[in-house]
Amino acid sequence: MTCGAPLDVRDKVSDSGWREAPRLRDMTEFRFSASTCQVEGELVPVAEISLSPQDGVYFEHHVLLWKDETVPLSSLKTQGGMKRTIGGMPHIVTVANGPGRVAFSRDAPGELVVLPLHPGMELDVREHAFLLASHSIQYSFVRIKGLANVLHGGSGMFMDRFVTAQYPGLLLLHGNGNVLERTLRPGEKILVEPGGFLYKDSTVQMNAVQMPLKTGFMGHHNMYLAEMSGPGRVGIQSMYVHHHSSE
Amino acid sequence: MNQYVCRYCRQPSDPNSPTCPLCGAPVDIRSVVSDSGWIEQPPVRDMAKIQFGQSHCQIEGTTVPVADFTLAQQEMVYFSHHVLLWTDPATRLGTMSMRGGWKRVMAGMPLIMLEAHGPGHLALSDNHAGEVIALPLQHGQQMWVREHRFLCATGNIRYDWDQTHIWYVTGTGDDQETHYPMGQYGDIFTAADRPGLLLLHSPGNTFIRDLQPGQSLLVQPSSLLYRDVSVRVHLHLEYPRNLGFAFWHPRWSYRNIWVRLTGPGRVAVQSVYTPPEDTEIIQNSSYATHHRW
Repeated sequence: MTCGAPLDVRDKVSDSGWREAPRLRDMTEFRFSASTCQVEGELVPVAEISLSPQDGVYFEHHVLLWKDETVPLSSLKTQGGMKRTIGGMPHIVTVANGPGRVAFSRDAPGELVVLPLHPGMELDVREHAFLLASHSIQYSFVRIKGLANVLHGGSGMFMDRFVTAQYPGLLLLHGNGNVLERTLRPGEKILVEPGGFLYKDSTVQMNAVQMPLKTGFMGHHNMYLAEMSGPGRVGIQSMYVHHHSSE
Repeated sequence: MNQYVCRYCRQPSDPNSPTCPLCGAPVDIRSVVSDSGWIEQPPVRDMAKIQFGQSHCQIEGTTVPVADFTLAQQEMVYFSHHVLLWTDPATRLGTMSMRGGWKRVMAGMPLIMLEAHGPGHLALSDNHAGEVIALPLQHGQQMWVREHRFLCATGNIRYDWDQTHIWYVTGTGDDQETHYPMGQYGDIFTAADRPGLLLLHSPGNTFIRDLQPGQSLLVQPSSLLYRDVSVRVHLHLEYPRNLGFAFWHPRWSYRNIWVRLTGPGRVAVQSVYTPPEDTEIIQNSSYATHHRW
């Protein structure tokens, strides 16, 4: 399984240690299982999947751009339907099975983040950021613990959790703006604007911390940032809904 | 010996560097100038570095670029709190309160700026697809910037703000409404006692132009990104000849609302803007020239 990243460009790592997600070239094609994915466009990229008969992908229904008429759709059984609805997560996750072609995009300028997952990996993704995942990846969701995290964390009440058991799989995210990734050492910490959080290894702990600052008129706004503690990867996006302040 | 001057930031620069160390603009490209005289501001290259004092800023990404600062000891930048993307715990954050708090709140401007003191790292980004524009300011240089376009400035740049004096009034009686097509206030930055760096975020693409003394042009009010303070600005109202169906409705008034920029000085526009949408008759306005076709 490949990720489509260009091999003839140097790694782009900033002085502070953030690595840019490789920008996929227009019409880049890569394989997963017996299927292929082609990335079209660069401003609001489209992921076009050519599914083989034994493969399938699942996704939130509103990211479906077009599909072959013959591609069957079904729904993925998700647990905790009421919780998901209350948490603002999609109640139904849709599955498309091969053979046939199906294409996906989200409606914001940004980048596709291609994350091939090896067996035994766990990845947490902010809600509404995942574009699609191959059927071999288990999908669940985790409640963000701690009232401060829920109220001030800016990532909603839940995060999507993607787990690979025995088989590898392909996970595609849509990051708004540009996407940067950093690997934290054990105990290393970084403070991130909560709206900028995109994904993390499940080993990374996330807590909302109140900054010793007041913003807004009469100092009525507290400022919260998400404190990420290693070890593991953290991915952020450069365009986000601002969540700093709360009454 | 002729000194190399960056054609974008107008500062003496290093011709042997791939990008200008003061503004990040590529050095090894030819100037792209439209037939009408607009110079396209080239985007700062991915991972280009901009030096200021003992610190530097690295621009990451090209869609919604991130300005990643490595701050040296005793150096400081300030910014509106909503553009902070991440910071390392070592960077000291504080607040910089400003005068005219009530007016700023009423005008939708940030009331409190945050200060970040080195040593440490932090990164800033805006919420629009566009470009980061770096303006190194020389001692005593002033720059007017449209509100909400400011990303950050170094501590030695003084921040002030003033009314744009560009407005018009529609409606009568209780329905009267005052419009500020260029924003009610504008930001003014001054390198008071020594040079400094000003970073803006420009949605879309950016074009710059040098106006000769007395030369003028018309631009969409909300597209103006920055201008030298020597450039004068006023409203220009243009009424097309063909009234169309507006003839049947006495309250409709088809017109274009422009600002006229008059040199001398540098001006910059952004390609993303919000045109004034209302069509009600203008009852009163700031100083404006008119043209009826």
